[in-house]
Amino acid sequence: MSENIKINVNGNQIESTPNKLLIEACEDSGIHIPRFCWHKRLDPVGMCRMCLVEIETPRGKMLVPSCTTEVTDEMVVDTESEVVKKAQEGVLEFLLINHPLDCPICDKAGECPLQDQTMAYGPGESRFVEEKRHFEKPISISEIILLDRERCILCARCTRFSDEISGDPLIEFIQRGNKTEVNTFPNEPFKSYFSGNTVQICPVGALTSTSYRFKARPWDLKSVRSTCNGCPVGCSTELNSSQNKMLRILGVDNDSVNQGWLCDKGRYNFEYLNSEFRLKNPLKKIDNELKETSVKEIYTELSELISDRNTNINFLIGTNSTNEDYVAFNEFAKNFPTTNQTFYLNDDYLYAGFFEQDINRATIDDLNNSEAIVIWAEDLKENLPVLYLRVRQAVKNGVKLIVFGHSNSTLEDIADFYYSEDIVSENFEIIKDISKLKGIKEHVKDKNVTAIIGKSTPYQLDEYLDKLVSYLVENSNSKIMNAFSSGNTFGAINNLDNVKNLRDFTKNVSSENTDLLFIVGSDPIGRSVFSNEIHRIIEDIDNVVCLDLFLHETSELCNYIIPTSSTLGEKEGTFTNIEFRTSRIDKLVPSPGQSLSDWEFISGLSNFCNFINNIDSLDGLNELAYQDFDNQDSPSFKNLDKPSNFDGIINDYQPNVSTMPNETITSQYFVGKKLYGDNITIRYSDSISLLGAKQFIEASESTIEKLNLSSGECTLKQNGHQVSANYVVNNKLADGVIFIPQNRRNFNRFDFSETIEISPNQSKEALNVN
Amino acid sequence: MKETLLLTKHMRENPEDSHLIDSYEKNGGYETARRTLINGSPENVLEEIKASNIRGRGGAGFPTGVKWGFLAENEDRYLVINADESEPGTFKDRILLERDPHQLIEGIIITCFAANIKNAFIYIRGEYAKPARRVQDAVEQAYQKGYLGKNIFNSEMNLDLVVHLGAGAYICGEETALLNSLEGRRGEPRLKPPYFPAVKGLYMKPTLVNNVETISSVPWIVENTGKEYNKLGVEGSTGTRIFSLSGHVNNPGNYEIEMGSSFGEFVESLGNGIRNNKKVKAYIPGGASAPWFRGDQLDIKMTIDDVANNNSMLGSGAVVMMDEDTNLVNAAKSIVSFFAHESCGQCTPCREGTTWLEMILDRVASGRGRASDIDLLLDVCDNISPGLSWPPKMTTICPLGPSAVSPITSLMNDFREEVESLIPTKVLL
Repeated sequence: MSENIKINVNGNQIESTPNKLLIEACEDSGIHIPRFCWHKRLDPVGMCRMCLVEIETPRGKMLVPSCTTEVTDEMVVDTESEVVKKAQEGVLEFLLINHPLDCPICDKAGECPLQDQTMAYGPGESRFVEEKRHFEKPISISEIILLDRERCILCARCTRFSDEISGDPLIEFIQRGNKTEVNTFPNEPFKSYFSGNTVQICPVGALTSTSYRFKARPWDLKSVRSTCNGCPVGCSTELNSSQNKMLRILGVDNDSVNQGWLCDKGRYNFEYLNSEFRLKNPLKKIDNELKETSVKEIYTELSELISDRNTNINFLIGTNSTNEDYVAFNEFAKNFPTTNQTFYLNDDYLYAGFFEQDINRATIDDLNNSEAIVIWAEDLKENLPVLYLRVRQAVKNGVKLIVFGHSNSTLEDIADFYYSEDIVSENFEIIKDISKLKGIKEHVKDKNVTAIIGKSTPYQLDEYLDKLVSYLVENSNSKIMNAFSSGNTFGAINNLDNVKNLRDFTKNVSSENTDLLFIVGSDPIGRSVFSNEIHRIIEDIDNVVCLDLFLHETSELCNYIIPTSSTLGEKEGTFTNIEFRTSRIDKLVPSPGQSLSDWEFISGLSNFCNFINNIDSLDGLNELAYQDFDNQDSPSFKNLDKPSNFDGIINDYQPNVSTMPNETITSQYFVGKKLYGDNITIRYSDSISLLGAKQFIEASESTIEKLNLSSGECTLKQNGHQVSANYVVNNKLADGVIFIPQNRRNFNRFDFSETIEISPNQSKEALNVN
Repeated sequence: MKETLLLTKHMRENPEDSHLIDSYEKNGGYETARRTLINGSPENVLEEIKASNIRGRGGAGFPTGVKWGFLAENEDRYLVINADESEPGTFKDRILLERDPHQLIEGIIITCFAANIKNAFIYIRGEYAKPARRVQDAVEQAYQKGYLGKNIFNSEMNLDLVVHLGAGAYICGEETALLNSLEGRRGEPRLKPPYFPAVKGLYMKPTLVNNVETISSVPWIVENTGKEYNKLGVEGSTGTRIFSLSGHVNNPGNYEIEMGSSFGEFVESLGNGIRNNKKVKAYIPGGASAPWFRGDQLDIKMTIDDVANNNSMLGSGAVVMMDEDTNLVNAAKSIVSFFAHESCGQCTPCREGTTWLEMILDRVASGRGRASDIDLLLDVCDNISPGLSWPPKMTTICPLGPSAVSPITSLMNDFREEVESLIPTKVLL
């Protein structure tokens, strides 16, 4: 490490490290310099001029922006001189002359850096008597973001975020001088998966989101720190509520994980909590009709079935539960020693993964610290969006990127090597000798490598991935990150003894070996590619208990339905992310009606049946989850609630995932997930509900030509099942590869191992003649 | 007083076809470059430029030889000719581009030879359509003759020259904004530090940015030696300089003279005096960004240092005369309006401040001023350029904001009564 240097700020010696920005060095020593455009995670631009300070130079004192000036040894800085104060007051006056000062109706008021710094550093009154600059306000720049250009102070935080961090520069400055405004390009909305971050970092109320507009004042908000359970990245969040309603989710700057950013799904997929369609009371199916009942009645009926401890029970368990929920189910299952209970995780893509002793596990930070990143997994941008941002960041820092397969085409632009056509087959098999590929030879062999490995499509064979991983393990100093993409998968495999996947479910489970099936927070019929098989199996089984937030295609089939609390803001617990980093999930709002947490229901049932378990308190479950760990490293509530551990604790548990490798039949289609889909929570979150509504398929231009498509629309048909969709040209896809989004409505009902007839939509073509 | 024609000699003698390669070659054109590339050495060229003591003609007056010496070592280095001549009052580069483009190209070839550069660019202001056409044609002629491209003059040297037309932004004359614009970005000045063009310039590679007139002088200096050039003019301001004379003079135009005579002499002899035999009330010595001189300061010498010692700048060599009938508040307003219109919008003080100044001046000029407006004007100026000193201190990234302050401080320092006379003293009910 480089040696510390000393600088003199306002007459006091402070220590810092060379090349640090002056504004940061001062911040570290508790000296606050006001700023608008500077943001720790963005490149400095020195535009707002609020952070001007005086430094001593051979030519006398000079005003410099502290956000672009690096500290040097013996630097003498004055942040409070009369010249500095005058300049800062001047800048604030300039910023305010054209600011509408509509604070009383502005969402930002109360947490607004412009308000706060005007109070602290600004002039007392206005000398500006002319007409202010006017713009139409607000204009909608995407389905979820509104822009008020009058409030904008042109700090370039949103434009820089879009350009530097998310890599989709759809929001830019236009015009110049006094007429400069931020805007999107004509006919190109701000269609970014990360647009919500710009709202969060906007230092005024220029960017607002539809979901929060006019809903609350900051001083009325209650907030807790929690962890997003939308995908295994596990971003740190702050949840905000007012009057017991969840109103907003903000990203918290967790240096090792999300660095303050969230994807828009993580940020806006919460409105369903307040939906009138939430289940509020337990339901029981009588004569094929769901009738309200009580939990006690359900307990009574279930206890008759299970109290002899000889019932064949299986679990189809979702990835939206907390670790404590999983522990409760696991302990509960131990009450049935003679039968073979299995936990089938609601995930099409789950497979055994790479957890062996000889494999080093990667953390997200390893991306930055390696020489090369190898990715062969589901599309990161669609499935692990913030991990995608971290990969982009690493590449920006000079790490080489090697991408395999057809899935991560959004990374092609920044990848040093994108191996798709001719190297990866339509079935996602690397058909060339890995060791002979230029990118591997030059940047992977004998280098420090972080690999993100997962199934690109549910039909990919495990052995294809094995080949690449064994090459990496043998030929490089590699660390592997298993890219499972749904919710708290890592918590589940950490805490459940025997985890299998949905394919195994369709092969193993039947009414013959299952007397009772628990379906927890899962809608495989509505979402999985095994929809049809699972539908048949569930229909066959006599007793099916469902724990969920909503009625949906799967829960409708069940005999008993228990309303549950959402893991988002309605219960406490822990979450384990892709690095096995466990962090806190916290409760902010009450859950509706008689909703129970998963663990509360199962522990109640256990008690009702007089099973002896230690699962009747959350703390007990939490202790049970981590009883094998050293007290200090254990991610127990006690440890996690220490401020030094807010960012989570990583464990090295060896999980037991024992999926069957799939057979040789593979799909001829590239089946994948999009960020927004037709799932139940998005359907009931008004502001994003339409984002997953578009029906489409993707293929390269030549593939589309071969299919004889020309009207812009097509129909997919198979055995009487039919979906009409647009087709989108994606020339980054290899020839012959057709991408089908499984999580858009009704696509998952196709049997992708059989041919789907894709024909042009005739009637539309006729319409397009004119 | 007489002109000394170095750069404008060829165009004066061949007014019909000075821009054509045949005419240029007939008069000895490209011979210097040819000889230099075949027999000369880069070190010698640099020595001559240093010996000439020529200072940049773009406005800042930085010694050209020193600038070339700063260029960092790198495989890829670039030369960018700043032909974004937009300073109000300046029109000297225009004739060099329009009427003697081959002289510039020859200068570029020699410069690139000296600095081991293989790619050069000419960035021409968007409004200069005709000069740009002439330069483009000239570049094509030079390529055809083998003076550009591979193995120039059958030597080892390769050089590609690209002509780029701006889109009409004054700020792109600021060298780092020019580089941004050339790269296809918004024309906004870069932060200095860390982006000094000689180290991190075009595409973050070491880049020489030189003015048209500076590089057009290179063939003469190399041909006649730096020592000869150094004999012209006076110490600190050697050589000739093309001054653009405009305003209330009888004979406005471009005049190439040795530096060292006084402004008064220049206006009287070459400018043929002020129109209608009026007196000079004030004049701008070096383009719209320069603080003004009063009519009683006409004996100041036209050298970089003399003007600087009198708290203004010789800048781009634009001399603008304002006679005794001029409404100086209006004059200041039109200059401030120009800068407000041309502000890139990056820095808050310039973006908001210049427009505000324009609004206040407009109020004052039209008789709607308030008694507090003079203090307000000065204080707003102070918030853009703290201390209102010369050379200006800045709260901004580049000097465009402080440029809008210059006419106002000149007005307030020397012509305050004129401003005050426009402000109604009584409250009108």
